[in-house]
Amino acid sequence: MIRELEPQVPSLAAAVPPPPPERFVCTPPIDIFDNGEGLVLRADLPGVSGDTLELQVQDNKLTLFGRVAEQAPVDAHLVHQEYRVGDYLRSFILSEDVDHERISAKLVNGVLEVTLPRAPQPEPRRIQVKTQ
Amino acid sequence: MAVFRWGSPLDAFRDMEREMDRVLRSVNQAFEGLRIGRPYPPVNVYERPEEYLITAELPGVRTEDLELSVANGQLVMRGQRVEPGELPPERYRRSERQHGQWERALPLPERVQEELLTADFINGVLTIHLPKAPSAQPRQIPISESAQ
Repeated sequence: MIRELEPQVPSLAAAVPPPPPERFVCTPPIDIFDNGEGLVLRADLPGVSGDTLELQVQDNKLTLFGRVAEQAPVDAHLVHQEYRVGDYLRSFILSEDVDHERISAKLVNGVLEVTLPRAPQPEPRRIQVKTQ
Repeated sequence: MAVFRWGSPLDAFRDMEREMDRVLRSVNQAFEGLRIGRPYPPVNVYERPEEYLITAELPGVRTEDLELSVANGQLVMRGQRVEPGELPPERYRRSERQHGQWERALPLPERVQEELLTADFINGVLTIHLPKAPSAQPRQIPISESAQ
């Protein structure tokens, strides 16, 4: 139902404006689980706000791109570093049974939650077989 | 063919370590920074003219689950991440995010006004402000001349 896309996909450049080359881009950790009605994707995006998050579904590709703000003012200089601050980019291929119209997302405390509901399955249709 | 060179028997271990590092790096970029044994959460420390800043990324932690305390020149950060609506593991297709409780103590830099510490927590990023104590004026030390 969902499949991750390799990050080096040339067509991605058209979907999301590429970050300037000096910015560090990282792959955020995610969880994907089935809640019975479809899939839910959660991604850790600390430092990303609703204004700086782009979530796109184009054809069957879901792309999340979160731009982070600098965590320290310009006059601050780093004296000890254990983690790197970078923008977040990850994309996925959705299968046909995701109802694209009903995809919804929310961002709380730096965690993005995307709900991917399953499209209602059409009723099986009985086909009359004519016999001669 | 010599397996170990006599001069440096530890080379093999170094090679193995390098190889392990390479393998671990390629396992998954998403796990970067979460290797076992590293203190959690990782922090960055910045210096400004008037203060030090300690930042940590704590996505999904609620403010009420976060506790900061200062004692004996140590800053203790304690917290937990609770997942809303825990599901059985078989429902998960991917599980890369870490949950649970953590605690970390950090020694404070010298000349910090402990009672004036403040912190803010925005979009999952914790920033702790440590105002510097006014630095003492340099004291001139008189040098006395003694007769030979």
